[in-house]
Amino acid sequence: MRHQDSLIGVCLVAFCGFVFWLTMGFDEVPPMLSQNVPPTFFPRLVLSIIALLSLALVVQGLKKEVDAKETIEPAVFVTAAIIAVAGLLLSFAGTLLTLSLVAIVLPIAWGERRAHLIGALAVCLPAGVYLIFSLALGIRFPAGRLFEGLL
Amino acid sequence: MGLPGLEYALPIVTDPFVIGLIVAGTFAGVLVGALPGLSSSMAVALLLPFSLYLDPIPAIALLSALYCAGTFGGSITAILINAPGAPPAAATAFDGYPLAVKGEAGRALGIAAVSSACGGIFSVLVLLFAAPWLARIAYTFGPPEYFALAVFGLSMLSSISGAEPTKNLIGGCFGLLIATVGVDLTTGIERLTFGIPELYDGIHFIPVLIGLFAVTELLTQAQTLGLEKVAVTIKALKLPTLDDFKRVKGTILRSSGIGTFIGILPAEGSTMAAMIGYNEAKRWSDAPEEFGKGSIEGIAGPEAANNAATGGSMVPTLALGIPGSATAAVILGGLQVQGLRPGPYLFDEQPGLLYGIFFAMLLANALFLVFGLLGAKLFSRISLVPTTLLWPTVFALCFVGAYGLEQSLVDVWVMLVAGLIGFGLKRYGFSPAPIIMGLVLGGLVETSLAQSMIIFDQQWTGFLARPISLIFFALALVSMLNAPVRGFIRNRSQRSGGAA
Repeated sequence: MRHQDSLIGVCLVAFCGFVFWLTMGFDEVPPMLSQNVPPTFFPRLVLSIIALLSLALVVQGLKKEVDAKETIEPAVFVTAAIIAVAGLLLSFAGTLLTLSLVAIVLPIAWGERRAHLIGALAVCLPAGVYLIFSLALGIRFPAGRLFEGLL
Repeated sequence: MGLPGLEYALPIVTDPFVIGLIVAGTFAGVLVGALPGLSSSMAVALLLPFSLYLDPIPAIALLSALYCAGTFGGSITAILINAPGAPPAAATAFDGYPLAVKGEAGRALGIAAVSSACGGIFSVLVLLFAAPWLARIAYTFGPPEYFALAVFGLSMLSSISGAEPTKNLIGGCFGLLIATVGVDLTTGIERLTFGIPELYDGIHFIPVLIGLFAVTELLTQAQTLGLEKVAVTIKALKLPTLDDFKRVKGTILRSSGIGTFIGILPAEGSTMAAMIGYNEAKRWSDAPEEFGKGSIEGIAGPEAANNAATGGSMVPTLALGIPGSATAAVILGGLQVQGLRPGPYLFDEQPGLLYGIFFAMLLANALFLVFGLLGAKLFSRISLVPTTLLWPTVFALCFVGAYGLEQSLVDVWVMLVAGLIGFGLKRYGFSPAPIIMGLVLGGLVETSLAQSMIIFDQQWTGFLARPISLIFFALALVSMLNAPVRGFIRNRSQRSGGAA
């Protein structure tokens, strides 16, 4: 087994190949603008450099010894899932309810058991966001389809 | 003859609202710096969308004050709980914590505060004179010179975060690639938008940097939940004596110079300045054996250097539009979204801006000295705020910051995806700072290259006829080859030593 940098390098080269293929699908430049640098020029130049550097990473990885990687704690996956679900919930439940739910679920997932603190955060966090950003700064947050239907 | 632009700046810097913003920014900076996991880069990134509600000078003054104070704030937790609040304070923990354990936490904090303030003020003075001087030189630059300068700036990424030069360069290029998303301005052709209308204007860097700095850190904190933080108790704030200051004055002066110089170099920031400041303090010390056991020179060296790097990093940021550090890259982005054009013409278009930043940074350096000394007990308690309550609050700020920019949920998704990718990249040794640098510089690099190619009639060889470009390309080559050549020499000497 080789150092993980080699694997990362190979993945990056594959990624560059994929994006290079995407650049081949860019629209044709109108003839009157053809004296300009084509839109594919810079992305392809950058992709070529990334690919070269990735190959260097592959070579460097082959010379390195395999290091024991710290395992990812389950809390990381749970946190990632919470923030992803929060992102999905925003358009449905609205900002304030979503933030309130995050303020309840995230501390519990992280091991917080003091209900009074969690409750206070669940109320104060959305309230603070509403007062400072919505009322004072005039940001219009999504109300959510749930509440639009009720109104 | 008066200083040009001063007459524009005076009404701004004497405005109570601006002064209030700077005081608030400084307090927030020390507070954020004192909270482990929250860095000044993250704080500036989170505040950036809201600064758009202000005029350019108060907005940039606020961000600059936060930058200075946040860099100092990291030393509080480095000294009191051996957990640097931010990477630039890592070297401060080497001697700060042992001194605190000996019951001299107040002395350690005092040395850190005074050294930081001295380093910061020194660098701000350099900024005031060096930025206009550098800008005058840059007046002669055309697109080829700017392209070469940006390449030099990106090449310097190979030496930040030390051990992983190739990954830093890949990160910088990845940032450049993200910057190409959207409609190409010269031809009107869509690039990598996948048909999503919100991406026609490109991926805005603010959600990306909030994701890379803050959401990535949120996931990193989830990885380290079990770690317990124990603060050293401050029974009485015993301040450093006059003899202490006499002993460290040479260290402060030397580190201030080192930090300012390193800050001026594109891409190099406070973390590297602090490490070099620490090493040089040890090298020049009369008592190097005390280092690691609570040497006050071991605190003064990195603290003066990391704060000196703040002013230094603003020199290329303002004069050339090339960020001197990750946080300066965020401030550079702040200038851009305010509709300002960083670079030599900035001082003509916004004559009061330099003085606004100068005043904000000067005041911030003086204020955090007061906050750091008088509020040490408070900040030491705040640093123990449960992560289970702190990070949901940070997440709410991430969401509001990303959404508030364009009031678009697509930006929130960009932030979340950037955070998840950032965590994966960080785990495999990629730092977020190079990606941000590449993203912020992307427009400049592509535009200046495209203009150069038109000037040179699509011939690369045209760069050979531009001496300034050649100098920057040569410097870029040196900076990229520096790490591999040193590694090769080190390996060779180790092998020859082993053979002998």
